[in-house]
This record gives sequence, C-alpha cells and structure tokens, in this order.
Amino acid sequence: MFDIIGKRFWFFFISGILILISIISLLSAGLASGIEFSSGSMLTVKFEAPVEYNQFKEELIGLGYTDAIIQSAGEGQFLIRTHLLSDAEKAQLENSLSGRFGQVSEASFSSVSPQVASETVHNAAIAVAIAAIGILLYVTWAFRRMPRPLHYGACAIVALVHDTLIAMGVFSILGAILGWEINLMFITGLLAVIGYSVNNTVVIFDRIRENLTKGIGANFEVVVNNSLVDTLSRSVNTSLTTLIVVLALLLFVGANIQNFVVVLIIGIIAGTFSSVCIAPSLLLVWDKKEWGRFIPWRRLSDKKA
Amino acid sequence: MTRKNTIILLLILAIFSFSLWTLLPIDAERLGRKGLNLGLDLVGGVHLVYEADISENATEHARNMNRTITTIQKRIDKYGVTEPIIQQLGEDRILIQLPGFTDIDAAKSLVEQTGFLDFREVEVNDTGRPVTLVDYLQQTQLEFIDKGETGDRVFVATLYDQEDNQEYRTVALLSGDNGNVILTDASGNPADITKLQEYTESLSWIPAKGNNGVHLTGDFLADAAAQIDQSDVVPKYVVSIDWNAEGSIIFDQIASKLYNAGEYGTPQRALGIFLDNSLLSAPQIRQQSYQGSGQIEGNFTPNGAEELANLLKSGALPMPLKQPPLYQEKVSATLGANFIEMSWLAGLVGIVLIMLFMIAYYRLPGLLASLALIFYGALVLALFKLIPVTLTLAGLGGFILSIGMAVDANVLIFERMKEELRMGRTLGAAIEAGFNRAWSAIRDSNVTTIIVCVILFWLGSSIIASAPVMGFALTLGIGVIISMFTAITVTRTLLRLVLHSPLGRNTALFNIVRGKK
Repeated sequence: MFDIIGKRFWFFFISGILILISIISLLSAGLASGIEFSSGSMLTVKFEAPVEYNQFKEELIGLGYTDAIIQSAGEGQFLIRTHLLSDAEKAQLENSLSGRFGQVSEASFSSVSPQVASETVHNAAIAVAIAAIGILLYVTWAFRRMPRPLHYGACAIVALVHDTLIAMGVFSILGAILGWEINLMFITGLLAVIGYSVNNTVVIFDRIRENLTKGIGANFEVVVNNSLVDTLSRSVNTSLTTLIVVLALLLFVGANIQNFVVVLIIGIIAGTFSSVCIAPSLLLVWDKKEWGRFIPWRRLSDKKA
Repeated sequence: MTRKNTIILLLILAIFSFSLWTLLPIDAERLGRKGLNLGLDLVGGVHLVYEADISENATEHARNMNRTITTIQKRIDKYGVTEPIIQQLGEDRILIQLPGFTDIDAAKSLVEQTGFLDFREVEVNDTGRPVTLVDYLQQTQLEFIDKGETGDRVFVATLYDQEDNQEYRTVALLSGDNGNVILTDASGNPADITKLQEYTESLSWIPAKGNNGVHLTGDFLADAAAQIDQSDVVPKYVVSIDWNAEGSIIFDQIASKLYNAGEYGTPQRALGIFLDNSLLSAPQIRQQSYQGSGQIEGNFTPNGAEELANLLKSGALPMPLKQPPLYQEKVSATLGANFIEMSWLAGLVGIVLIMLFMIAYYRLPGLLASLALIFYGALVLALFKLIPVTLTLAGLGGFILSIGMAVDANVLIFERMKEELRMGRTLGAAIEAGFNRAWSAIRDSNVTTIIVCVILFWLGSSIIASAPVMGFALTLGIGVIISMFTAITVTRTLLRLVLHSPLGRNTALFNIVRGKK
C-alpha cells in the first residue's frame, strides 16, 4: 500500500518552490493585462499574400506603433494590440498596411474604453472574491458534521490559492517571454480551475469523512492516507479525461481562446496535485499541530509518525 | 426491479430519440427553433455599446432612452439584419448587436447619423392614377413616368401582420443618374426583381415640392408635439406640427395641389412623412390651406404620437450618443465559421478519446459510460437549441470541457464498484453500492462547479465585454447539471440491463481481479 501522506513535507517543498518562483515572477515581471482590463484596441489583419512577421513588425514600428504587441495568428494573419484607436487612425493604419503588403482584410477588431476596462477589473475582482468566500462557506457547510469543519474549508481554500498563484505565475512568465496578456477569458479559466480544484479536494475530503465515520484506521494519519489511496485512481482518471478535452481544444481551436485553455491545463495539473498532495496533508499537519516540522532538516531528528 | 428498469430504459430511449429529432438535421426547425443559436463571435458581426449623453431629468431620460432605441431599431431594420439586438444596458447605455453584419464602420455611421426627414407625395401618371411599382417593372427601359419630377422615387409596401397592424416597408428606390434610371433595394444595392414581384402594389413616392421647386424637408419644421384632441366625443391623440415662415408657404402650396388631386382617402391626397426613406406616416390633406400649422391624425397610442412627434422634431436620436462607443467589436464571418468547424472537431476528438480511455480502463462499464456520454452530448445540444442558449466560442469551450467532466461521476462510481467487488460483494450488490456510496461525492463536488458557474454568470451579466464569460458559465453549468443525471441514471440502467444478460457473468469484462487489493 502506498504511503502518500508520509511524503507530505516533500509535497510542501515542491509547492513551496513553485509558489516562490511564481511570486518572484509576479513581483518582477507582473502580469500584462489585455484590452478588457487596461483599455485599448485589438485588430486582427489578414493579408492575401504571405507576410513575414519581422517585416510586419518593422512596418508597424515605422508607422509609429512602437507600443503595439504583435502576434502571428496563422498564415498571413496578425494580431495587433495597441492603444485605443480612433476610426481615422484605424483606417489610416489599414491603408498603410495594404500599401505596403497588398490586399488586407480586417478579420476581427475590438476596442474597449478606459471606463469599461475599469468596471471589468472591479467586477472581475469581486467575482473572484465571492467565489473564494462562497466555496469556503460551502465546504465548511458540507463538512459541518466533522470535528473542526472550518479546517476542511480553509485547507480547500489554501489549495485553490495555490493553484491560482501557480497559474498566475506561469502567465507572468509567458507574458514576459511571449507577450501573453491576461484577459477576461483568463479570469474565466481561473474561476473554472478554482471550481475544478475544489471539486477534487471535496471528493477526497468526502472519503476522509466516510472513513472517519466508519472508524477504519488506527489514527487520523492512516485514515487520510487510506482515503487518498482509495480515491487516487479517480483523481488521476478524471484529470486525464478533462485534460484530453482541454488538449483537444488547444490543438484545434487554439488562437482566440488560447489563454483560457492554457489556464485550464495549468490549473488542472496544479489542481490535481494540490487536491491529492497539499490539501489533505495540510489537514493532517493542522490536526497534529506539527507546523514546526515544516522545516525539512528539523524532521530528521524526529521519528516518523 | 427489472420492470422498473425497463420503464426507465424506455424513457431514456425516448429522450434520446427526442434529442436527435430536435437536433437533426442541424438547421431543421423544431418546436419553433431553427438551428443552434450562434453568438456573434461565431457567425461574425458587429457588437457596439454606446453611452448616451444625459442632460434631462430622470423621467424625461427614461422616455428618451426608449425613443433612442426605437430610432436606432428603425434605421437598422432597413438594412435587413436578421435578429439584431438593440437594448438598454443599465442606466444610460445602449447595446447593439448585429449578427452577420460585419462592416463596423457602416454600422457605426448608421447608428450615429442624424436622420434625414422629408415629405413626399404619390407619383401620378398622365391620367391622374397613382403609380405603383408594377408600372416600373413593366417598362422595358426604365424611365420616370412623371417626367417633370426627376427626384428619387421611394417604393413603399403596406404590410399587415397577424394582428392586422399596419406596417410600412420601403422595398425599392428608383434614382436618376446622368440620364440612367436605376432601380435598387432599400439599402442601395441592385434590386432583386423576382423578390420585388411580391410588392407590385407598392406606391411610388416622389419629393413634395413647393411652386419654387424647393423640396419640403424637416428643415422647414419649427415644432412638433403630441397632443390630445378633445374636439371629438372620444378624445384622441394627434401630432401637431408648426412650420417656419418659408415652410408655411411651401406646405400650403403642396396642400392645395394635393387637395385637388383626388378624393379624400385616396393615395393622391396623402402627404408622406419620410425619415431616411422610411415612411413614418401618411396623413390625408383635409384643407387647401393650413397657414403654418397642422395636425396629423391617426389611430395613435400615446407612445406612438410621442414617438412621431419626436422623430419629426429631431429627425435624429432623442439623446446624443457619446462617441466613440464605449465598446466595439467586430468579427468577420469567415473567422467565425472557422471557429465553429474547429470546435466541432475538438469536441468530436475529445469525446472519442474519452470513450477509448473509458473502454480501455473500465471495459464493459466504460463502454456503457461511453453510451451515456453520447446520450449526454445529444441531450445537452438539444437543450441548447430549445432554450435557446446562444453559443459563443467560449460557450462551446464550456460544453467541450463539460464532456470531460461529465464522465467524472462515472469514474467515481466505477472506482467505488471495484472497491466493493474487491471486498467480496457480488457484482449486482457492488453495482448498487457503487452508485449509492458515490452519490455524496458526486453531489458535493459538482456543487462547487455550479457555484463558480453562477458567479461567472453574474460577472458576465454585470460587465460589457462579457458574452464569452456568460456563454461559458451557462454551457458549463447546464452541462454539469445534466451530466449528474445522465452519468448516474443512464449508466445504472444500462448496467442493470447487462447484469441480467450472459455478459453479466463474465467478470473479465468488468476489469476486476477479485479479492486482491
């Protein structure tokens, strides 16, 4: 039989490093925000003839769009994200581009005013906060008959903060390297991940609840470990089936919902890890009040429980 | 037990057939719904949000918002956009969605323009009979029938809806350009002659001009107001109009001409009021001379009279819209079509891979779960069509994600079944125990996803650039709720069915090694 819970300090160590990297990246590089959050215009242009990315970029810089972020979006197609364009500016830009590279069409265009952008940031922040509180309340309520139900809720929240931090950290790195921005779909993906991560955690906690009620297992540590082993193939299989569809989405639909899909992929992996390895371990550490043992080298002197 | 199972099985088959009937063929009309309702990002189109410039007090404001929306609606109707959405958003915002209409600059100028108000009369031929569209359609070489008038002709059909409400529709325009007379549709594109055959009775309206040849337009109007006329036994709503000095003279000249052109009630005697070539009202001329003011009568509702008065007064939007719009978005139709195709492919590949995985890992139960998954997909899509849910790209993403999550309940149950079998239960007992014990986990875990969906739906409804968020929340939420039913009921019914067949004695099909852990 596996001893998963016994390796809890290794899990904390791995998570700790990942979170540390995420925080450093978030603090140094930050998150680049898309037009929904910071206002601006986004334009996808499609050329009849193939156009080189570098040439395209040079042309835009030549036209004075030094602030523009340019992404290649398929054959002869580019996405330009820049400041809020007026109708005249847009027409002029498209004229200049067709003068340089030939026939051009506008595949998509969107423009968000500063007013709408600040509302979006405000409401997205509220949504994330309500989601966290709602889930804490729900998990606490679902485990109300257990001793210390708040522990379950709090551990589920720590797990989801863990997933959120890692997803944001990865995006901050992707933003620094590839110019990826966070947009409304990123927030949507993040909330979906939160729901998913807690979903996994709840299944494991549910089994702990059941095994505790049955009174199987010598102590809480054994109960937690048994419950983890019992639910392990479920956790892995469900993550696999979900990953399968998300990968299918990434491969086929890609482009426009790329951010969203990548958040989901990171979130599903991080969420599975946190539900299996972090949340139950925290529950146990809290129960045994062994916070002091968080420091790995002090553990060596202790006997393994 | 078995009998109950058979009934549920029949019910499931019935729902499945109903779902398929609803869905196939994909663009068929079922229960009043035609095809899946696709969002702007999939069919292409324009999405605009404007903020109105408020300067009046609150009561005035609410009325003006309604009028502004009506005016925009009228302008857009002329362009034949299918199912445009024009609605108020919050206090002072107006949302405009034009599916399939991808020229964003044209859409904006259509909304932002100030309308052109003019007055017209019906064209008559040599014998004094009103000219209709058929007279022009019969010509071999298009030429103006009333040669003295070379201005544009506007052909207006009078249509009646099911409740017998009268509605005017501009069906064609005729204009002279360097000696060539050209027939176009209402938006200026070459006319479709076969389509016009339906509207042969449409009257031909020519500019109403004073004796000096000046066209009577909205510029000559001094004021217009909705009023209650008490002179009759039953008070009625009328619209009173006042002309300026020059307008007063032109109008009286026109009135006297029309008064003598035909009997009361004939088209020859009507004065057509047009906004951007759309006929608003065609009151009859009652007097030879009005001396600066007149009254338009009709079966006006209070709102109808207000609206007409407002259109006459401004010809423009009752409240100015701030420019540029707060939010604007345009997606080309080809880009959208590409997304649909790719989403279907992603969904198909996803569902097939999940089925392969489930069958490989869980064998026979996995196969049954796969059948339940097909049932799930058909039922959810049928619901999307019937509710109807507007599917955006993110909405399709939510649906595809829900396919991956839909098997979760089955995975939970099957894992539980395996445990129960290992503990030495019979197959039948293990199946029942698997379902019963897994339920609390299925319920509790799905609730968290539903909480998130509700919050996302709120977020989507509270902000502007939000169609994707709402679409995702809705499809994922519906998906999760339906999957709780399909994964449990359908799989259980099928498993019970199999259990009583010879297949049920072959434990290898259940991928279980008894007694080992």
